[in-house]
Amino acid sequence: MSKIIQDAYIVAATRTPVAKRKGAFANVRPDDMLAHVLKHAVAAVPGLDAKEIGDVIVGCAMPEAEQGMNVARIGLLLAGLPDSVPAITVNRFCSSGVNAVAMAADRIRLGECDVAIGAGTESMTIMAQMMGNKLAANPAFYTDENRAIAFGMGITAENVAARWQVTREQQDAFAVESNRRALEAIAAGKFRDEITPYNVCEHLPDFASGNVKIRERLFENDEGPRPGTTMESLAKLRPVFAAKGSVTAGNASQMSDGAAAVLLMSEAALKRYNVKPLARFVSFAVAGVPPEIMGIGPIEAIPRACKLGGVTKEQMDWIELNEAFAAQSLAVIKDLDLDPAKVNPLGGAIALGHPLGATGAIRTATLVHAFQRDPKLKYGMVTMCIGTGMGAAGIFERV
Amino acid sequence: MSKLYIRKVAVLGAGVMGAQIAAHLANADVPVLLFDLPAKEGDPNGIAKKALDGLKKLKPAPFGHPSRMALVEPANYDQHLAKLGECDFVIEAIAEKFEWKEDLYKKIAPHVKPGTIIASNTSGLSINKLAQAMPETHRPNFCGIHFFNPPRYMALVEIIPCVTSDAAMLDNLETWLTSRVGKGIVRALDTPNFIANRVGVAYLLMVAHHTQRLGLTFDEVDALTGTKIGIPKSATFRLLDVVGMDTMGHVINTMKNGLPNDPWHAHYAVPEWAQQLIAQGALGQKSGRGVYYREGKVTKVLDLNLADYRDSKGEIAPEVDEILKIKDAGEKLKKLRASAHPQAQLLWSIQRDIFHYCAVHLGEIANSARDVDFAMRWGYGWSRGPFENWQAAGWKDVAAMVAEDIAAGKAMANVPLPDWVGKLDGVHGADGSWSVQQGKRLGRSTLPVYQRQLVPELLVGEKSAVAARQVWDNGSVKLWVRDDVDPDIAILSITTKMHAIGRDVLTGVLEAVAIAERDFKGLVLWQEAPFAVGANLKEVVEGIKGGDFEELEHFVAEFQRASLSLRYSQVATVAAVQGMALGGGCEFTMYAGARVVAFESYIGLVESGVGLIPAGGGCAHFAQRASELSKQVAFGEPFPFLQNVFMNIAQGKVSGSALDAKAMGFLEPADTIVFNPQELLYVAIRKAREMHEAGYAPPSHPKAIVAAGRTGIANCEMALVNMHVGNFISDHDYRVAKAAALALCGGDVETGTLVTEDWILAIERREFVALLKTPETQARIAHMMDTGKPLRN
Repeated sequence: MSKIIQDAYIVAATRTPVAKRKGAFANVRPDDMLAHVLKHAVAAVPGLDAKEIGDVIVGCAMPEAEQGMNVARIGLLLAGLPDSVPAITVNRFCSSGVNAVAMAADRIRLGECDVAIGAGTESMTIMAQMMGNKLAANPAFYTDENRAIAFGMGITAENVAARWQVTREQQDAFAVESNRRALEAIAAGKFRDEITPYNVCEHLPDFASGNVKIRERLFENDEGPRPGTTMESLAKLRPVFAAKGSVTAGNASQMSDGAAAVLLMSEAALKRYNVKPLARFVSFAVAGVPPEIMGIGPIEAIPRACKLGGVTKEQMDWIELNEAFAAQSLAVIKDLDLDPAKVNPLGGAIALGHPLGATGAIRTATLVHAFQRDPKLKYGMVTMCIGTGMGAAGIFERV
Repeated sequence: MSKLYIRKVAVLGAGVMGAQIAAHLANADVPVLLFDLPAKEGDPNGIAKKALDGLKKLKPAPFGHPSRMALVEPANYDQHLAKLGECDFVIEAIAEKFEWKEDLYKKIAPHVKPGTIIASNTSGLSINKLAQAMPETHRPNFCGIHFFNPPRYMALVEIIPCVTSDAAMLDNLETWLTSRVGKGIVRALDTPNFIANRVGVAYLLMVAHHTQRLGLTFDEVDALTGTKIGIPKSATFRLLDVVGMDTMGHVINTMKNGLPNDPWHAHYAVPEWAQQLIAQGALGQKSGRGVYYREGKVTKVLDLNLADYRDSKGEIAPEVDEILKIKDAGEKLKKLRASAHPQAQLLWSIQRDIFHYCAVHLGEIANSARDVDFAMRWGYGWSRGPFENWQAAGWKDVAAMVAEDIAAGKAMANVPLPDWVGKLDGVHGADGSWSVQQGKRLGRSTLPVYQRQLVPELLVGEKSAVAARQVWDNGSVKLWVRDDVDPDIAILSITTKMHAIGRDVLTGVLEAVAIAERDFKGLVLWQEAPFAVGANLKEVVEGIKGGDFEELEHFVAEFQRASLSLRYSQVATVAAVQGMALGGGCEFTMYAGARVVAFESYIGLVESGVGLIPAGGGCAHFAQRASELSKQVAFGEPFPFLQNVFMNIAQGKVSGSALDAKAMGFLEPADTIVFNPQELLYVAIRKAREMHEAGYAPPSHPKAIVAAGRTGIANCEMALVNMHVGNFISDHDYRVAKAAALALCGGDVETGTLVTEDWILAIERREFVALLKTPETQARIAHMMDTGKPLRN
């Protein structure tokens, strides 16, 4: 157990709806999305003196261009938070969001501050390439030892599917279920509390009048889930990454845009502001695995996080396992013997989308709000695999 | 002649033909309104939109580049009729119901501005009758205009004047369709199915008739009546499947109903077996089954003897095949007639009957025999029209044989050959082609647009009147001049088979450039399609067999010198490209001082298919181009301008049109695209003259090319690693593509290093020869020579 002087509690967690790449957020900047969630996370605690925020830590997997320039600091300034509040952008690819939450918790746990924010933002509309704006591979990749650094994520998923013997049918069935759960959850309004709708304003030419027209639309629900996803419809899709492979666009995560922010406090601050926390931060861990099978990262990370938190994986009542690919999700579920009913009860990234560096913070918001709906839940986890071979897991407790 | 500007076209009816016609007009940069009925639900333009969407998947592609789709604006008759006032040309292409067309004409007439041409793409209805449905003020601007499917690729457009059509309007329209849209125009008389479909359908019925009479099977008849006799490989029954049995039924009925007194009238009927297929819904390709269908990789054919389908074989009897190999057309026809073999009997019978048919009907359907022959060449893809086949086989001999068969009751109609047949030695001659109406041979059209066709397509019996002055010739290339167009511009033409580039072509190009610099003001590189299919592999194989790789490197060096001579010539050089320009042909294209390119040009660096990389300067060209383009961008680097180029070269991609070639970077944005390939030489000569007059000077050799270098190569390799581990490419594909990356990126040097043209050319040569030494590349070359297809190894 790490040496901490106080616990960190989540008091607010909110996110944008997740848009498909080039969808509702096609013309929305990631720094603006970040400002939106920061503002609303802070507003969730009436009377909070924002100057008390010790740090704003923001995850982003491709921090360049519109989400470059230390997007964390840009976002907080745009959100109107005090100049005195500092901010840092962190990057561990797909775990960046939950990693940011863990780092914010650590600030509090070490006694460096009483209030901190962990967040994430990502626009894959503007940053679609896996190497960012400028492709610049290192010639040293192409040795036998290093070649896997150059592997696309799809190839690693094919590798996992082959080694863990996950069939195409199993992957497609998993994808169908993810879509089914997500659509059901949206219909039942289960994401309503965690989402802060975004008023999308776009400057468009009105050719009739010759003026620029501002079009406003309120974006409220995740747009990723595909109604009518069936085994038959998925069976028609061709493997994308390998000639005789099993990974398709239908059983892989979607490229998406979105942001989320999680506000954390020490017990002292809870009392001072008289707020009821949504959850207690328990532990967080990361672990490395071979890059060519990066999808199995959670298999190494989850036991570490459990050990650090003094809990067992069997105690987890709700697991947000990022569905980078159905293949790796199924391998993780199988190896760790996780209960499929407890994994992604509201669907996962195959349906809901995966805005890389934001996902960890987004799914933290999903988890802590699930705690509010169901008093039987005790422990929950946010976990994911990470490109170039890592896994991350963060554990939270209902309080 | 008054000037005609067609600023916008309306196509009424977004069916298969209407939508494709709209697409091809968009190819020609003409904005189009594509009308259909308002959709009952949703977007009122839904029907036209759906038709446009459907074009995306259609093969062969109606659009030369997907971006052209933006030029077609969907519309509907409820909301947008007022927009007809913006159009200079309205093409009606709705279903073949007279009443529907009549209604539509009434509806549109008030919105069409005076002077706008209105034409019906009907394939069967009478144009004169349709004209009566048009208000009188519009009748002078009304005619028939009959495209063939697929309209982008079939050259033929029949213009059918009605009695009220204004002569100047017809000339203007013919000129526009010829030059701007690139079509071959035949003016047809207003009779059912006009010329091409009249003759074509009669011919198909004749083949079907004799097939059954002689007890032959569909697959063997298709083997007999395809490329062996100068007809596309879809031949007879496969063509029926492509067209659709139901459509064919309609066209036959038009003849049955419209031609009651035709001597062949009894034969204008859908054969019983075809009626059964229609009843079963087996309409051909569109319903997945017709005369043929595919079961996995096996083609099944309907066999009337079995009353069921069986594996398709389509064998030609050896004795018949022997006859078909005879070069002399007259002797061949006589032997076919004399043979008792049913296959030979079929081939003779169908020729006899179509000759008979065309002779009897010529005066009724066409102004001259030339129009019949061109209609069949351009509309049905026949290498020669029926009158040409007749004349090539000996007019009088064949006439006698046909007459003998008619007298013996063997022909399908009991009507004698017309008198004029016996008075002639042939229908085509130096003075024109036979016209029944005029009772003499009729010369070619005198419309000025045809003056732009410097090397007109000739029919059998016609003599070239081309005023070519030969300057130089080495057996593989010739240098010549058209004094009547521009005596100062030399024309270099490759004369080898498929215009493959061997050593003699290379020395020929170098010599031609030298002569042009000495004696001329410009040089045009032109030959009929294909422009060039690449290096002569036979010479490469001989080099490999001799093991003389040093000699092969000299060959490559010579190739590079030839390419470079085009770019650095002191006089302007213009590549006039049509059809395939592959490998070295593509490099000659890119290295010319300017390019004039036919719309139907298929350009690409396809060397990877034979395990090689572009080494005639292709990689150096793109390296230099990327370096230049990167300087136009803030903090620009060459690699982004090489990424797509690399994939195109690695995969041997070929452009689907000249527009596509621009998008792929094989052509420059300013290069001229010509729609009618027959005008290519004319435009190229004018272009060379223009460059000369503008004070032409060649560019200097680049000495500071910014190399994408090691990072660029690593970037290319990233794609290769993933394709390789995903089993999309083989070890050798990887090796070949990496060699191309090395040359494109200027070698294994630090990114941003300045290198020279010579440096990159040396990499091209080194990598090319290294690949030539590998057994995999040698196997690919051998396979390509044996089969014409790339080997995946």
